[in-house]
Amino acid sequence: MNDGPLIVQSDKTLLLEVDHPAAADCRKAIAPFAELERSPEHVHTYRLTPLGLWNARAAGHDAEQVVDALLTWSRYAVPHALLVDVAETMGRYGRLRLEKHPVHGLVLVSSDRPVLEEVLRAKRVQGMIGDRLDDDTVVVHASERGNLKQALLKLGWPAEDFAGYVDGEAHPIALAEDGWSLRPYQSEAAESFWHGGSGVVVLPCGAGKTIVGAAAMAHAAATTLILVTNTVSARQWKDELVRRTSLTPEEIGEYSGSVKEIRPVTIATYQVMTTRRKGVYSHLELLDARDWGLIVYDEVHLLPAPIFRMTADLQARRRLGLTATLVREDGREGEVFSLIGPKRYDAPWKDIEAQGWIAPADCVEVRVSLPEGERIAYATAEPEERYRLAACTHHKIDVVRRLVAQHSSQPTLVIGQYIDQLDELAELLDAPVIKGETPVKERQRLFDAFRSGEVSLLVVSKVANFSIDLPSAEVAIQVSGSFGSRQEEAQRLGRLLRPKTEGRTAHFYTVVARDTVDADFAQNRQRFLAEQGYAYRIIDSDDLPV
Amino acid sequence: MSRTQQATPPRTLADQLRRWPDERLLGLLRSRPDLATPAPHDSAQLASRAATRSSIQRALDGLDRLELSVLDALVVAGQTSRDEIVSLVHADAGRTRRALDRLLDLALAWEAPGGLRALSGVAECLRGGVASGVSGLRPASTDRPDDETVRARLESVSPAARALLEHLDAHGGEGTTGSARRTVTPAEATTPVEELIAHRLLLPRESGTLLLPGEVGLALRGGRTTREPQDVVPELATTSRPVELVERTAAGAAFEFVRRVELVLDHWGLAPPAVLRGGGLGVRDLRLLARELHVDEPAAGLIVEVASAAGLLAEGVDAEGDACWLPTDTFDVWAGQATAERWASVARAWLDSTRLTSLIGTRDAQGRAWNALAPDLSGVLAPEARRMALEALATLSPGEALATGTGTPSLVARVVWQRPRRPGFRADLVAAAVDEAAALGLTGAGALSEAGRALLAGDVGAAAAAIGPHLPSPVDHVLLQADLTAVAPGPLETEVARSLHLVADVESRGGATVYRFTPGSVRRAFDAGWSAAEVHEFVTSVSRTPVPQPLSYLVDDVSRTFGTVRVGHAEAFLRADDEAALTELLHHPKAASLGLRRIAPTVLVSTTPVDLLLPRLRELGAAPVVEAADGTVRVARRDLLRARRPRERRTPAAAAAREEATVTSVVSAVRAGDRVADSRPQAPATTTTPSGALAALREAVEAGDTVVIGYVDNQGSSGDRVVDPIRVEGGQLTAHDHRSDDTRTFAVHRITSVRTVG
Repeated sequence: MNDGPLIVQSDKTLLLEVDHPAAADCRKAIAPFAELERSPEHVHTYRLTPLGLWNARAAGHDAEQVVDALLTWSRYAVPHALLVDVAETMGRYGRLRLEKHPVHGLVLVSSDRPVLEEVLRAKRVQGMIGDRLDDDTVVVHASERGNLKQALLKLGWPAEDFAGYVDGEAHPIALAEDGWSLRPYQSEAAESFWHGGSGVVVLPCGAGKTIVGAAAMAHAAATTLILVTNTVSARQWKDELVRRTSLTPEEIGEYSGSVKEIRPVTIATYQVMTTRRKGVYSHLELLDARDWGLIVYDEVHLLPAPIFRMTADLQARRRLGLTATLVREDGREGEVFSLIGPKRYDAPWKDIEAQGWIAPADCVEVRVSLPEGERIAYATAEPEERYRLAACTHHKIDVVRRLVAQHSSQPTLVIGQYIDQLDELAELLDAPVIKGETPVKERQRLFDAFRSGEVSLLVVSKVANFSIDLPSAEVAIQVSGSFGSRQEEAQRLGRLLRPKTEGRTAHFYTVVARDTVDADFAQNRQRFLAEQGYAYRIIDSDDLPV
Repeated sequence: MSRTQQATPPRTLADQLRRWPDERLLGLLRSRPDLATPAPHDSAQLASRAATRSSIQRALDGLDRLELSVLDALVVAGQTSRDEIVSLVHADAGRTRRALDRLLDLALAWEAPGGLRALSGVAECLRGGVASGVSGLRPASTDRPDDETVRARLESVSPAARALLEHLDAHGGEGTTGSARRTVTPAEATTPVEELIAHRLLLPRESGTLLLPGEVGLALRGGRTTREPQDVVPELATTSRPVELVERTAAGAAFEFVRRVELVLDHWGLAPPAVLRGGGLGVRDLRLLARELHVDEPAAGLIVEVASAAGLLAEGVDAEGDACWLPTDTFDVWAGQATAERWASVARAWLDSTRLTSLIGTRDAQGRAWNALAPDLSGVLAPEARRMALEALATLSPGEALATGTGTPSLVARVVWQRPRRPGFRADLVAAAVDEAAALGLTGAGALSEAGRALLAGDVGAAAAAIGPHLPSPVDHVLLQADLTAVAPGPLETEVARSLHLVADVESRGGATVYRFTPGSVRRAFDAGWSAAEVHEFVTSVSRTPVPQPLSYLVDDVSRTFGTVRVGHAEAFLRADDEAALTELLHHPKAASLGLRRIAPTVLVSTTPVDLLLPRLRELGAAPVVEAADGTVRVARRDLLRARRPRERRTPAAAAAREEATVTSVVSAVRAGDRVADSRPQAPATTTTPSGALAALREAVEAGDTVVIGYVDNQGSSGDRVVDPIRVEGGQLTAHDHRSDDTRTFAVHRITSVRTVG
């Protein structure tokens, strides 16, 4: 028997005992091919998935290495079937290659004829391919490069894309490292991306994904299209790029609902890209407006389906995806893999936290008992009304008041889902509120005030979930959320995980109504946070200082 | 060697057997056990049984390719000497001699005075091609010319004739004469066929066919029965593997297998799957099980089959009385043993099991899918195939293992060489045995483990001892985490595992087990009688790490709501807004027998049913009204009681007649039985001759006597019948049978005795 830190389970999960002396080495060995699923305090769980194994193949690892890593670090015998499965799955990647043929343009080349025969007979590949050049080569319609990759992934034979990229219109971009410098992992991430051609960089919120994007742009030195989630985020990108690179504000354009500028570097929102007029996407011409050399996708895990479709047509351009998590609530990880590219860089949150880049967080769930009357109202409510009733209980407001008082000196965010509740809170706490109807300008002003310390308490709705950098926030109080989405949790926590001065601990409170669906949803959130390795406590509202 | 017919009659095989020393005879009976049951009376019977077709077939099935080809050579050569056989068989002389000895020991061949000969029935039982050691040559003609002559004749024929001969040899050694004349001299021959007939290289037969005699075939093949050497045992394709890896992989598989068997049986002890009407386990149940165990369906099938073979799983009856698959009481004993012993016993059961586990999920000739545990899913070849596969592996030296990919086919080729007859089916079984041995952990990484070797040698104890050190040692602690999981980093000790199973759900299994605490699982522990303090105490004691606050909170939170709703039995409830009125009733001295209990200030319950309670309450001075199920007051007017008119199923007369008939038939059966008993002591039944019986019956017909006949029925059991014979003709007795009170016919040849009743 081996005394390794790893236990390989028959359901393809890998358990890594963190306190084992060899845990760090083992993590390094398995990280390239196993997806970190949970990282609570003692035992981390990784999972072997086909996508993970193919990502490893794309990064140059082979099955031999994977099997060797499992055998070396595993404490117990590794199930034989699992090893066979690993080898088989990894062997599927790269049997098919997309290449550029000097005469025929894009071709699909196979090193394994039966595989080629199999995929050519598949229905979903029909229409994407042209003439058969020889036994192993078949012409692919240039427009179907993305669709074909998607189809092949679904067939279980992901193709490796060697067809190369267009350089795009050159435009000098350089990093302006005055008074700051790229963190080691940021430059590693940008390097890995550049060498891989296209792909996704996974970094936790607050770890400086924008700067990775800027570094990638410096590598490309070409016109760049940046797709972001919303306008506020677009402005932040712009400010950051102006600050971190040689680009001037005049070189950067915003393409959103209100402004339509096309400049060498253009930042567009998902929303404007997916706006349809009379059934057609009216802003598609942006994609062809310039000869883009690089396309950056911010928050890849939120990429809406129409953008996937557009991306399928952009396969000849370099694509960089930035995200905090590859987990998509809609399960479209495979499309990210085939259309944007394999994962090129990944660093576990806790590792980055340990390096001091993000703040440690103290997560507390505060349970509020519903008063008799509300309990009865809850019990007799229609199922679809229940969550709202439980989440908006009046008792929460008092708890929030006490929590705010407890952290009166610290910048605090109160986050919620229901506008009525937020308005009520704002009034009671005498704090400004940001919600969907707040004009962008006003939002910007409030966020700036919060950042500068003028305002120390903000009540925000879910509009603030994504991509708004509020590094100074130290306390977040969540009063309601959208049904326990794991992704939302990651985002909200992300608001607080920006590095703090003096290494202060961030506080993350979730106020939930006891014995209701609210508590059930909170359980999902709790699980997610605990799985991410955050200390998590549950307290009763009565135990809070009055 | 003399080719003339023996002047004196040859001594028989029986004679030879009679002269054999006891040990050799014992050896024969051991190798051909079918000869020993039932025990033959003497050597003559033994010899005749050994020559029966079925017994020969069975003996041939156990021969390897070389032995079969030696036997074939014996058949081709007829009676011959040992040396000639050695020269005829295309194989190493020493090996051929050993093969010949084995054939003699098996009494498939014997030493007649004129030389060795195969048993007369052997020739027609030899089937198949060269791969089965069958040369396809006909027996040499009895008046065969010597080899020189044959060779000379062969050389003298034309190339066309030679080619024809070669073709005939390759295609069964038989052809038709066609227009060829059957008696020609070499000079007259005009066609190749005639030329061959003239040179006596083909023998014409009356039926118009031409035969290639054995001696000619031999000459064509260079004096040997086959062109291919017959003693090339296929090599195993091997690769080198560290012994340590083999042992670890094997032990890992063994551990997994035992764990899965335990899991299945634990699970089925609570929720047993139904037994199909035709026996076996339903496809759906197997699929569910496979999903539960994270294995594929064939692997799940193997697990239940082995559990059943080891006597851990059997048919039983569930609470509703339906047949279902249940763990046996042996399972409880087994579950208490150490993992190594548990493994050794299931692995042993697999090795000896006749179950054709590899067929599960495949379809039979009629297109029906084989179910796991189906009763007829067994075959005697299965244990033999497993042993042969493992024995072939046992010949490898430590550090050598079957190569990935090519290893199993080479092993199959080896076994097919060893047992060429019925190769297709056997090859499948051997390939399946290799896979199953790996799943059970007898082999690891393609090589037999030390424990596997011990098991093959029949030493279960040594096998358990050998595997023990390689199995993961049990742990007594878990790691508790804030996401409400507990990870047991190895197999848990049984007690801890059982308790943990109660308070937490299993999320992932393997070398380690991941448990998850949920409100449901904690409530389950409370349901089983645990208190919150006990749960706290348990998790603290098994955890090596501090108990996370959310877990403590969860336990307390569940305990807070546990038992909030109480459920009990009551026959009636009494409610009143006037608490005092209820208190008065409760304390009324005469109300003690009503079983009243206060469950709320305004509610009493009673153990007395409403219809009894109501008058008693009125007696006690209360004025109750009855509430209907929807809460409305039911007016307490007395219902007028009416019975429903019973429906008449049958007229009384018919019922009476039917009853009478039943009684009568019972009485007549009893009387008949009595008479049999009565007549027995006075006139003991003597088996009469058929003619005597006929005579006695005819007599009884004439006299109108009642007789007792001894009669053997369709099931072969004999019994006495009391009958009144009516007529006897055509070998049939028609008589009135007292027991059935009916006229029946009896076959006279089945009547063993006839005697008259007083």
